[in-house]
Amino acid sequence: MNSRNRILGYVRGATGSRRRLAHPGRFDGRYLLDDDRAPWERFAEMFSAAGGEVERFGTEDEAARWLVRFAEGFESATVGATVPSRLRPRVPLACPDLAALGVSVATGAIAETGSLVLDARDGRRSQLLAPTHVVFVREKDIHPTMVYALGRLRRDLPSAVGLHSGPSKSADIGQILVRGVHGPGRIIAAVVAS
Amino acid sequence: MSAPSAFHAGAAPRVALFATCLADRFFADACADAVRVLRHLGVEVEVPVGQTCCGQPAHSTGNREEAVRMARHTLATFADADHVVLPSGSCAGMLRRFYGELLGTPAAAALGARTWELAQFLVHILGAAAGPLGTGLAGRRVAYHHGCHALRELGVHDEPLALLRACGADVVPWDGDTECCGFGGLFSTRFPEVSVGMADRKLDVLPDVDAVTSSDGGCLLQLAGRALRRGREQRTGGARGAPRPGPPFVHLATLLREGLEGAGGPRP
Amino acid sequence: MSFADSPSEYAAASARILRDEPTMRTAVTGAARSKDDRRRAAWSQIDIEAWRDWARDLKSHVLTHLDRYLEEAERRLIENGVRVHWAETAEQACAVVASVAVVHRVRRVVKAKSMLTEEIGLNAHLETHGIEVRETDLGEYIIQLLGEPPSHIVGPSLHRSLDDCRRLFHERFGTPLDAAPEILAATARRVLRDDFLQADLGVSGANFLAADTGTVALIENEGNIRISTSLPRIHVALVGIEKLVPELEDLAGMIQLTARSATGQPIGNYVSLIQGPRRPGEPDGPDEVHVVFVDNGRSALLADEHAWETLRCVRCGACLNICPVYRQTGGHAYGWAYSGPIGAILAPAILGLEESMPLPFASSLCGACAEVCPVRIPIPELLVYWRERAVAADLTPPMERLAMKAYANLAERPAAFGAASDLVRFLPIVKGGRALPVLGSWTGARGAPEPSTERFLRKWEQTYGAAHESSVRGKEEGQ
Repeated sequence: MNSRNRILGYVRGATGSRRRLAHPGRFDGRYLLDDDRAPWERFAEMFSAAGGEVERFGTEDEAARWLVRFAEGFESATVGATVPSRLRPRVPLACPDLAALGVSVATGAIAETGSLVLDARDGRRSQLLAPTHVVFVREKDIHPTMVYALGRLRRDLPSAVGLHSGPSKSADIGQILVRGVHGPGRIIAAVVAS
Repeated sequence: MSAPSAFHAGAAPRVALFATCLADRFFADACADAVRVLRHLGVEVEVPVGQTCCGQPAHSTGNREEAVRMARHTLATFADADHVVLPSGSCAGMLRRFYGELLGTPAAAALGARTWELAQFLVHILGAAAGPLGTGLAGRRVAYHHGCHALRELGVHDEPLALLRACGADVVPWDGDTECCGFGGLFSTRFPEVSVGMADRKLDVLPDVDAVTSSDGGCLLQLAGRALRRGREQRTGGARGAPRPGPPFVHLATLLREGLEGAGGPRP
Repeated sequence: MSFADSPSEYAAASARILRDEPTMRTAVTGAARSKDDRRRAAWSQIDIEAWRDWARDLKSHVLTHLDRYLEEAERRLIENGVRVHWAETAEQACAVVASVAVVHRVRRVVKAKSMLTEEIGLNAHLETHGIEVRETDLGEYIIQLLGEPPSHIVGPSLHRSLDDCRRLFHERFGTPLDAAPEILAATARRVLRDDFLQADLGVSGANFLAADTGTVALIENEGNIRISTSLPRIHVALVGIEKLVPELEDLAGMIQLTARSATGQPIGNYVSLIQGPRRPGEPDGPDEVHVVFVDNGRSALLADEHAWETLRCVRCGACLNICPVYRQTGGHAYGWAYSGPIGAILAPAILGLEESMPLPFASSLCGACAEVCPVRIPIPELLVYWRERAVAADLTPPMERLAMKAYANLAERPAAFGAASDLVRFLPIVKGGRALPVLGSWTGARGAPEPSTERFLRKWEQTYGAAHESSVRGKEEGQ
């Protein structure tokens, strides 16, 4: 008998005589105040409150033009594998651990928590290592709740999903808030309306 | 909770006072004051003399067998009472919250259901805080310590404050007033440094008041004992000028009696 | 710096910390209060009682069907390409990780903060195999450099001030003594970035594991967990068997409630949802992912009729933050990985009842913890339960047992009880309490209690005589 079977045996023995308690059903976390706003507005408020920045563009062209201007100040960039070519910056590319700017595409976002949904297929290093991070997300992919977002995610799960909800932060140095240890200290959610 | 009408309808319910072992020994005047307060509000009080200890010191230290024995004795002592009133949140909590489970009988659960801490009884059964009660505490600044059992086992919070105010007291805000004072029964002597640290946390921010009060004698012994030593240390530490004595630590029952009858009223 | 090596040192360690390190109490109280304030604010935005009921019911459901969910999770993990291991004890769990490391010739490990890895003593075990272990959570990194244990389960370095960190970084890295926090942070980032890039193996715990998708969920704010589980070629996740939830969507409720309870945030800044190793077509990610299911006393705790509810714990630290006892000393007095109220009810299960003493008694039973537990663990009732078990196992001082028996004997005999109570007034209250040690513990720093001149019941009896003995006739003989 190996450890696995012994542990499962102990667990079965432990739960065997106890009254089995039912699953309470899907989480439908209610808030005290109703929020009727469009998901992208709620997302923008939550993300900004956590220290993230939000830009909103009517079209992909607008977004592309903004990115070129924005990236001018950076000496190098790393770009996610699923970022479309028209949304690439015009600065030299560098390895993710050396680049000053990371550009990613999120497969979605969550309004109630202010989170961007980042997919391993886009490349984890370019999502985590550069000090400044720009993430493109389509407005229509901003889901109202986390339950809903996870329900959609399960249809096509990669090896890893990251929910990023603001710049990296820590209060471990004397209870004072610092950013950028170890993920990006600056993160911009670039929301594209259409 | 029942309406006060039971006491004005004619048939007088039997209200028994459970003094509690600690209050009986260390706050005898407060027990007498509790009786006076109840009498003042039209309640005739019995005091079954077979009463001893509710069993909480045994229960909270894991001595279940002894707790059961004391609970049985208490149940028998108060079997005839329609209401049992205690000048102690922790002991009232013991009967209300734990007797049913300890003894496992309907009678034990029923006793718990008709057991009240004093302020709880005055407000919920007698409706005493519905209007002004007296003027005996007018002009007095009071700080209230919420004992943990009264607060969290019985849900008593507003009742004592309402009663004090109905007697004219100014109950002032006290940061940490709902935090544990560090008594915890035997905890206070098992881990004395931690216990004293907890008392200090509260005493450090005690506002300038005429009295500190609570419904639990254990808490008052803890806070008063620590305050006394802090005062002495201040004096021997060479504080300049006359040392300021701290406020007196007074049981709620005593303050309410003063509130109803006026300070310095005759004692039984 | 003073800390207990085991729970048995709690009384001495707590006294020592209070006496010799007064700043610890201030730092811990400040940090705990601020976290509790944030929790309170975050809870006030939601229908918290409904959320807590749901979370309690979800975890209770999982725990009462745990074998089924463990088997389902294992199947899914294996389908996802994860290697699954099972460890009955702390030693076995350490051995599994060490063997993975040795087989892959791992020289350096980067670690995400994981209470389970502290519980099993993983770092020390790996170091005996000549493997370098680097904590990457900033707080854990700081205490690793200082050689100290954590003082809080969410903020391990909260007992260390900015000046402490300045001095540490000055000694280690040559930063100026007045360096701004941002400089210290940038230094840590630079140093640890090298570790991330060079490490062969990343070790994490797991906040939750969704059985139906085999998803390991991890919550953090810095990003070091995302990085530790993405850059090295191997990732090992240690998962306590109680961490399961049934479905991916259940993570939404558990993660949000845990974050709101721990730090007052609506969600942790980074949430990792890990299904397995890198897949074809993905630019990066570990080549191998291992999950180690760890028992270490959990299945035995599950079998306990009363105490099994302890396993609902989501390690948010809310009970520590509100505990007035914890606030006096921080985690160092408790002598093992988990401090505060949860530490006291977990210890008997994971360490054994005797080894956990006196933690179940190191509480005034104020009940504040139960009010803030997101999964409604009845902590005060469980503390009393373990106290009863301790008494039954003869782990409490014999004098106390005898005194309690004598007290109960008296309490059943009102006349004798009254007489003894009368005599209390004449006890020698000697400072230092040579007569009765318990009095010495009181009078060391507190004025002695003053008994009333005459007991209330004695006076009542004298005033009213036998008129009120109706309920008591026959009780004098004792029951």
